[in-house]
Amino acid sequence: MVSFQGNDMSTPFFELRNISKYFAKVIANKDVSLSVERGEVLALLGENGAGKSTCMKILYGLYQADEGEIYKEGELITIKTPRDAIHHRISMIQQHFSLVSAHTVTENIILGNAKGRIDWKKAQKSIQELADRYGFNVDAGAKVQDLTVGEQQKVEILKSLYLDANLLIMDEPTAVLTPQEIDTLMEFVKEYSSRGNAVIFITHKLREVMHVANRIIVMRSGRVHGNVLKEETNERELSRMMIEHTLQEIDTKQTTVKPGNVSLSVRSLTVAPRREVPLLRDVTFDIHRGEIFGIAGVSGNGQLELCMTLCGAMKSTSGSVHLDGQDITHLSINKRIALGMGYVPSDRHRYGMVMDMSLSENMLLKASYFSTWNRNGVVNRKKLAETTSGILKHYDVKASGPNALARELSGGNQQKVIVGREVEFCGDFIIFDQPTRGLDLGAINNVHTAILNEKKNNKAIMLVSTELSEIFTLSDRVAVFYKGEIQGIYRTSELDSQKIGLLMAGYTHQEVI
Amino acid sequence: MMDKKTRDILITNFFAVILGLILSGFMILFLGKNPIQIFILLFSSMFRDGYTIGEIFVKATPLIFTALAFAFTFKASLFNIGAQGQFYIGSITAVSVSLMLPSPAAIPLAIILSFVTSGLWGGFIGLSKAKFKANEFLISMMSTYVALNLMNYLLRTVLMESKGEYPQTETLARSTWLFKIVPHTRLHFGFILALLSAITIWLILYRTTFGFRIRAVGQNKEAARMSGVNPERIYIITFIISGGLAGLAGVTEVNGVQHMLLQGFNPSIGALGIGIAILANGNPIGIIFASILFGALHVGGTIMGQLSGVPSSIINLMEGFVMVFVIISYYVRRKWEVSRDKKLLIEGNI
Amino acid sequence: MMMSTPLLLGSLSEVFSERTGVMVTAIEGIFLMGAWAGFTASYITGSLAMGLLWAALAGLLVAMLYAYIVVTLKQHQIVTGTAINILILGLCSFLQRVVFGVPLSPLTVEPLQKIAIPLLSRIPFIGPVFFEQNILTYSIYILVPLGYFILYKTSLGLVIRSTGENPEAVDVSGISVSRVRFVTVSVSGIICGIAGAFYSIGYLGMFTTNMIGGRGWIAFAICFLGNWNPIGAFIGTLIFGLAEAFAILMQANASTILPNELFIALPYVLTIVLTISRRSFNVPSKLGIAYFEEN
Repeated sequence: MVSFQGNDMSTPFFELRNISKYFAKVIANKDVSLSVERGEVLALLGENGAGKSTCMKILYGLYQADEGEIYKEGELITIKTPRDAIHHRISMIQQHFSLVSAHTVTENIILGNAKGRIDWKKAQKSIQELADRYGFNVDAGAKVQDLTVGEQQKVEILKSLYLDANLLIMDEPTAVLTPQEIDTLMEFVKEYSSRGNAVIFITHKLREVMHVANRIIVMRSGRVHGNVLKEETNERELSRMMIEHTLQEIDTKQTTVKPGNVSLSVRSLTVAPRREVPLLRDVTFDIHRGEIFGIAGVSGNGQLELCMTLCGAMKSTSGSVHLDGQDITHLSINKRIALGMGYVPSDRHRYGMVMDMSLSENMLLKASYFSTWNRNGVVNRKKLAETTSGILKHYDVKASGPNALARELSGGNQQKVIVGREVEFCGDFIIFDQPTRGLDLGAINNVHTAILNEKKNNKAIMLVSTELSEIFTLSDRVAVFYKGEIQGIYRTSELDSQKIGLLMAGYTHQEVI
Repeated sequence: MMDKKTRDILITNFFAVILGLILSGFMILFLGKNPIQIFILLFSSMFRDGYTIGEIFVKATPLIFTALAFAFTFKASLFNIGAQGQFYIGSITAVSVSLMLPSPAAIPLAIILSFVTSGLWGGFIGLSKAKFKANEFLISMMSTYVALNLMNYLLRTVLMESKGEYPQTETLARSTWLFKIVPHTRLHFGFILALLSAITIWLILYRTTFGFRIRAVGQNKEAARMSGVNPERIYIITFIISGGLAGLAGVTEVNGVQHMLLQGFNPSIGALGIGIAILANGNPIGIIFASILFGALHVGGTIMGQLSGVPSSIINLMEGFVMVFVIISYYVRRKWEVSRDKKLLIEGNI
Repeated sequence: MMMSTPLLLGSLSEVFSERTGVMVTAIEGIFLMGAWAGFTASYITGSLAMGLLWAALAGLLVAMLYAYIVVTLKQHQIVTGTAINILILGLCSFLQRVVFGVPLSPLTVEPLQKIAIPLLSRIPFIGPVFFEQNILTYSIYILVPLGYFILYKTSLGLVIRSTGENPEAVDVSGISVSRVRFVTVSVSGIICGIAGAFYSIGYLGMFTTNMIGGRGWIAFAICFLGNWNPIGAFIGTLIFGLAEAFAILMQANASTILPNELFIALPYVLTIVLTISRRSFNVPSKLGIAYFEEN
């Protein structure tokens, strides 16, 4: 633990005491007390929905606590808006960056910090100097939408530095970075904290926590369940503090299946809109029945475009796609669905479900053109409800019934519904795109079990994921994507996280293997 | 769950209407008249005889159509503000058919053709949105003014009466008039047509796969697309149907009430249709009731004018206030829900 | 040039509002309210300046009502605007009756005089067009560059633009999104109220309930077509002002070949054509979407 000379060690830098926060349908925080010292890196660990972001947003003034107080160096302070937090030199970098993509780096950084007339040239120059001073390779005049995700994160950090923040709160900062970028970030965190500043790090990744944090606070269901120094604990103990019950270890050995015939065949698939950077370049691979084919890579390197092209939502410029021998390259979405293609999208709110419709109606979403429940266009509601209830039971979905609104379910349950829908109605090929993003460990387990089940049922499965642990646990083979191209296709056993990290960052096959 | 929500909607809308009327009454004070007296007069005279009651439904008829028109596209998250213009097109068609074919056969023909022409007029908007991603709000808004001018022009020239005095058509032959369903009133078959249309639209939206797809596109276009629906085609079809519905109001007003076409004809049923659709939360059955309400307000306002000299613009005032309060009631409802849930949560955990 | 004035005032203020993400769909109503208030105040006090003042005030009040419902209560923008437009329609003719009763002959007011700027108005051809106008029209010459300056060269403009693109970014920086939107819409109301008054006291000298006739909406459309940019709004307005002036000219000459209505409809048709052909580039990303601050 880093001790910072000249400071009274018994008075924490910032402290939250007995914070409680209630939302309409859930208790986000109950009696949360935690503190952070100067020069310390504190990790706030917990599953999705544990309440970590909430208490930090209270510290940053985005939320108001229903109970409890905030202290700075022993003195009670009030933080009602982010302005107050900024005044106390607190800065927060959210999980989804709060940057205006259409504006430049400079415009984003000085937002809220300039008065009256702006001399753009001068502003840009000083921002560039700031960036150079910290060794950030960012062009102050570039538009944020043209930057990579890692660079965008640097812009967010620069904004905090511009504000001279002493406490930096980062919410799931590593979710969108390659392993190498994560290392760079950790270096920065170490350097920043060694200068007497504090960092609070919200994450659900055990491994990272053990690398960087000085102290770890574990949260679960809105309460604090652990407060330990890194030296005093290990991953297994932390995991136990994070979840309520022991999870069944998934036995992946039992599900080794001999891969069968080729189901999906992709040849030289290219998506290159005019006058733009190609989104997919010459992608070629096969997926066999009874195989889980993993697609790894930092998000934004063509995975979404691949999924969209395969299911028919995006037109390819050249190349072909065959399903069970049939050329589907130019077929419409509903024809592909009719041929048995299933797709569990990464953004279920946007592509997977209609939140304000009932679960039955969401089932219908998949099958409105089928004749299963539909006779001359009229919906057979009874049959639909029965089928939906069946799926809800099979996948252990906690919902009040087929008439419950999709919105009422928790994220994990919503995802189970979608997985159930796609699996039940699809033929032999399913795409799972980030199927466990944002889910708690129990739900993740459920989804993984479902995926492995389908593998046992001899279906061909494509799994897109940015969670390397997921890729390694489930896939038989892996293709690594970088800037729309496949860096290489490997048997999972041939790779380790360092090699895959390099591939994800753009190193070629020759350089890595 | 659904029933609770519906109950909330009915209660708050009821209060919104009352508040709207109270505020209008308040405005009457400025005229130096006693609003309470006037409202009592209003309510008693609205139901004074069969003819007046019949008038309520007569006024409600075209409103049902224009409200359905707005609500139908609204279900697809589209904004058809051009119902007024589509109504004009329908009127033109209805009157032309009836003039050219002065016999009962004109009625079904007018219904079909009006639906088609106004449907195409509206479909143009849908097409622009689908093919060019144009803003349908602006186009539909502008198309009303274009339709208005077209109608005025035709009334001045081609369709004009033989006397040549006023820009209006000849009176239609009696055989083309929609038959009355209640004697001694002006209530005509058009009302039945409106009821049937509302029920049909309800069935389409909530009991067929087609209606389901429209609602899916309205609530989450991308998810709908991913499940095989073609949103662009939905846009076009919804606007055609929507335009057609507004055009049917043309038939009912021309053949059922006015028996001719003239300028300044029902100038605000388009906008009122929007208000009614909002009041009824887009539900076709609710639209029937809300239209009758607005019809009653209209009749009441006219009577007020006749009996006590309150200007007819009080009607717009009442309608406007009611609409504003209904919108505010959405917010109030939401707040109730949230605080109710929050309380339950805290109690449940102590 | 003259006909462009209210359109430009309207579209300029709409540009600012929409840049924060709020479509002022009540614009037609605000114009009408301004027209009525301006006329009534001028008639009663005999002073055109008072008329303009009251027009601005009326516009402000309506805009504040709209802003309250749309920004604070976070209700639907198109629905609310429509409701307010209907309300104002009724209100104006009702108030007209309250204040004036039923006049025997139409009431009139002396419209704004044209003021000629000494030297510049002598320039042949361009002179009278640009420099012999009434005071409202002159204000445009200042407002357009001012608007451009504010939007792109000041921190206020940066905040406004950011609010429409990503209100979260603004919220996180500690600035109240609601306040930015509310104030911008209110200021729009002031300007649009004055713009509406142009029709009654700046040009015709009287008031009728349908004198706005959709021109508030054209200003609304110009904002779209001008790409949410003050300069674009200026160009768009000139085109429309021209079309409208052309229409009036043709009507006055009683052309028997082409019908009157064609010319009246011309601006509207033009809007439709332009709306279709223009691919809106710079739509503020969050236009029309209410921002729910956390909590």
